[in-house]
Amino acid sequence: MLRKEAAARRQPWSDTARGYALNVPALLAILLLVAYPIGYSFWVSLHRDNLAQPALRRFIWFDNYLGLFSDQAFLRSLWVSALFVVLVVTVTVLLGLSMALVLNETFMGRGVLRSLVLLPWAMPGVVNGLMWRTVFDAKTGALNGLLLQLGLIDSYQAWLTSTTGAFVFTAMAQVWNTLPFVVIVLLAGLSTIPGELYAAATVDRAGVFQRFREVTLPWLMHPLLIVLILETMNAFRAFDTIYVLTGGGPGDTTTTVALLTVQRVLTFTDVGLGSAYAWVITLITLVISVGYVSLLYRRGSFEV
Amino acid sequence: MTTTIPLKYRIPWKKIVVYIAAVLFALYLVLPFYWIVAMSFMHEVDAISLPPQWIPQDPTVENYASFVNPEGLQALVGSRAVEETPYALGNSMIVATLTALLNLVLGVFAAYSFSRIRFRGSQALMMLYLLTRMVPGIAIIIPFYLVMRELDLLDTYLALILSYTTFALPVTIWVLKDFFRAVPRELEDAARVDRCGWFRTMWTVVLPISAPGLVAAAVFSFMTAWNEFMFALFLTSTTASKTMPVIAANFATDLNTQFTVMAASGVLAVLPPLVLVLIFQRLIVQGMAAGSVKG
Repeated sequence: MLRKEAAARRQPWSDTARGYALNVPALLAILLLVAYPIGYSFWVSLHRDNLAQPALRRFIWFDNYLGLFSDQAFLRSLWVSALFVVLVVTVTVLLGLSMALVLNETFMGRGVLRSLVLLPWAMPGVVNGLMWRTVFDAKTGALNGLLLQLGLIDSYQAWLTSTTGAFVFTAMAQVWNTLPFVVIVLLAGLSTIPGELYAAATVDRAGVFQRFREVTLPWLMHPLLIVLILETMNAFRAFDTIYVLTGGGPGDTTTTVALLTVQRVLTFTDVGLGSAYAWVITLITLVISVGYVSLLYRRGSFEV
Repeated sequence: MTTTIPLKYRIPWKKIVVYIAAVLFALYLVLPFYWIVAMSFMHEVDAISLPPQWIPQDPTVENYASFVNPEGLQALVGSRAVEETPYALGNSMIVATLTALLNLVLGVFAAYSFSRIRFRGSQALMMLYLLTRMVPGIAIIIPFYLVMRELDLLDTYLALILSYTTFALPVTIWVLKDFFRAVPRELEDAARVDRCGWFRTMWTVVLPISAPGLVAAAVFSFMTAWNEFMFALFLTSTTASKTMPVIAANFATDLNTQFTVMAASGVLAVLPPLVLVLIFQRLIVQGMAAGSVKG
C-alpha cells in the first residue's frame, strides 16, 4: 500500500500517460485504417473522378452531392433500402421475440434449440444468399417442391423474378441470417425479469397477454431498443446476401444503396460519385449510432 | 407456482403451444441448411428432379471431389471457380488466422488500460472504439481500394488483413476488457511486490488467467475475417488472395454453375465458422449478450 502511494506521488501524471501509451497501437491502427480513409473518401467525393478517365479528374466542390437530389437511381435505391429496413427489422424483431419467449420456457430439447439458433450466425452472408437461392430457385427450389407437395401451389413458381417476390424473399433471406443476434439479446433480457413478478401477476389473475404487456414488455424495453437500432443499421448496410441472391434485380427492385454504390465503383469505376453515395450512407448510419451510443450511455454501460 | 392440487384435469395449452412453436422454429432454422447440405451430396440430375429428393437417393461425393480434381467435372463452363476453391480455402484460413492474431496484439494493450488504469478520457476512448465499429464498410472501401492500388497491395493478404482489422479491433478491445476486469487485482499486486513490471505482470499473470477471453476475441475476429465479402470483392482478383466468399459468389453469379457444386462450395465455406460456433457456443452467447458483437 505504502509502496503504491509512493509510486503515485513520484509520478502524479503516470496513470493517464500510461493509459494513453497503452492505447497507442490500437489508436494508430484506427487512425490509419478508419479515420484517414473516411477523410480521404470525403476528399474524393468532392471530385469528378472516374478511374477509366484519369484525365478528366476535376475538383468540383459539392457538385456530386447536389446532383444526388436529381439522381433517380440513387433516390430509388434509398427508397428500396428504406423499405428493406422496415420489412427486415419488423419481421426479425417479431420472429426473434417469439423465439426468445419460447426459449425462455422450460421444455425438452431447449438446449438443442438454443444451439440451433446460432446456426444462421455462423453462416457467411454470401453462403446465406447462395443457400436461399437453392431454396427459392424456379427449377430445383426446395420451396417449390415443398409447396407443391403440400398442395399449396399447382406448378413451380419463379419466386425471384417477380418484382415483389424478389424483394420479399430477399428480405426473408436476410431475416434468417440476422435472427440469432436478436434472439440472444432478447433472451438475455428476458432472463433478468424476476420470477416473482409473474407470480404476482398470476395471483392477480392476469391473463397471458396481460402478463406480457404489464410485466414482460416494460422489462424488455431496453434490449428491444438496442436490437431495433442495431438491426436497422445492419439491414441498411445489407449487401452480401442481396448481391448473391438477386444481384439487385430484377430491374432495380432489390438495388439497395450499398449495392448501388458498389456497382457505381466496381462496374462504372466512378469513385467520385461512389464516394458521395458512401458519405450519405455514413451520415445516415452516424445518426443511428449516436442514438445507440447515447442509449447505452444513459443506461450506464459505459462506466470504467 | 402455488401448491394447490388441481381438482380437475386441464389441457396444458401453454405446453402444447410451446412445443409446437419449438418444433416449427427448429425446422425453420435447420431445413434451409439441411437442403444445401443434401444437395451437395446429390448428382445434378437428382437435384433438379421433381418432386425433390428430400433425402438423396443416390448420394455421391463427386461434387467435393471435383474441387480436387476439376477435370472430372462434366460442365466445363464455370469450372474456374471450381479450380480456385482449394486455393480460396487456404487463403481464407491464412487471412482469418492472421487477422485474429494481429487484433489480439493490437487490442490487448488497449483492453488492459481500460481494465486496470483509471485515466482521464478513458470513457471517451472506449466510445470512440465503439463508434469505429459502427462505421459502415462501404464508407471506407473506396479510399481503401484507392490506397491499396497506389501502394500496389491489391490482391495481397496484407490488404485484406488490414481492412478486417477495422471491424475486428473494436470488438476485440471490448471483449478483452471485460475478461481482464474479472482477473483479481490481488494477483497483480502480488506480482508487483515481486518487482515485476506492468508488462511482465500482464504477460505472466493477467493473460494466462484470461485465456478464455483471448480465445473468444480471436474467434470473433476469425469469423469476421472468414465471412467478410465486400472488401474481398474489391481487393482480390486472383487465386493469390481470393477468399471463400468471393469464390462462392462467383459460383452464384455464373449462370452455368451446377447447383450441386455450388452447394458443396457453400458447405465448405460455412464449415469452419460452424465448427467454431459449436465449440465456443457459451463464449459467443456471452459476448453477443454483453454487447453488440455483430453490429
